Amino acid sequence: MDDRSSLAPLCFETRIDATREEIFPYLIESSLITQWLFGNSAELLPEPGGAFVVNTDEMQVRGEYLVVEPPHRVSFTWGIVGNTELPAGSTTVEITLTAEGEGTLVQLLHRDVPSNRREDHAAGWVACLDRLSHAAGR
Amino acid sequence: MTASAMRSSADNVSSNTDAVLRALADPQRRQMLRLVRNDEVPAGEIAAHFEITQQAVSQHLRVLKRAGLVSERREGTRRLYALRPEALEPVRAVLEEFWPAALDRLKLIVEANKENDQRG
Repeated sequence: MDDRSSLAPLCFETRIDATREEIFPYLIESSLITQWLFGNSAELLPEPGGAFVVNTDEMQVRGEYLVVEPPHRVSFTWGIVGNTELPAGSTTVEITLTAEGEGTLVQLLHRDVPSNRREDHAAGWVACLDRLSHAAGR
Repeated sequence: MTASAMRSSADNVSSNTDAVLRALADPQRRQMLRLVRNDEVPAGEIAAHFEITQQAVSQHLRVLKRAGLVSERREGTRRLYALRPEALEPVRAVLEEFWPAALDRLKLIVEANKENDQRG
C-alpha cells in the first residue's frame, strides 16, 4: 500500500460570480487553463485517461484526467516531470463546482501531497469534508 | 503565484534541500524511505528487501541520513532507521501557497471575461 494515501489532502475553495457552465471550460481547455493555473502552453485531453500537461519554459506538469463530469467535477493526476519529490502523476487534484445562488462555489482538493504534519492537516481535512457534504446536501 | 514565482519557490526549496533532492533521485533509496515510513526498521530488515549487497544498502542509508531524510538509532549491535518526513515539507509549503493564488486568478479571469462578454 502506498502510505501517501493516508495523508490529509490540501483543501481550498473560492466563490466565483459566474455559473458552473461558464467556469467549467477553464478546467478543460488549453487556452483557458494557462490563464489562471500557470504555463505558456497546455495539452489537455479532457476524458478519463486523457493527457493533462502544462508547460512552462523550465518545467512540465504532467498527469492525466481521471474524471470529467461537466459542469460540476474534474479530477486529474498532477506532478512535475523530473521532480523526485513530486513525480509526474504522483498526486491527485479534484475540483468541484457547486451552484450557489447566481454564483458558484469552487472547491479544490489536492491529495497525496507529501507531508509530516498529518495531525495538523487532519483537522483541516475534517472541516473541508464538512463543507463538501454540506454543499452536496443542499 | 505566477509560473516564474512558482519556479522561484521551487528554486528556494531546491537550494535548501539539495541533499534531499539528490538522495531522492535514486529509486532504491525512495523504496527504502517507504519501508521506514511508519516504523523504525533495522538495517538488516531493510537489506532483505533488496538484491544488492548489505554494504551497498548501508551506503544508501548513509546518503539518506546525511540528507536528514532518516534518523539512525543504535540498539545493541543493530542500527534502526526511521523516516524524518519533515525533510519533505518544503514541497507541501510550495503548493499551499500556489493553489490559493491560482484560484484567485481563476476568479478574476472568469469574472472579467464574463463582464467583457456582457458588454458585447
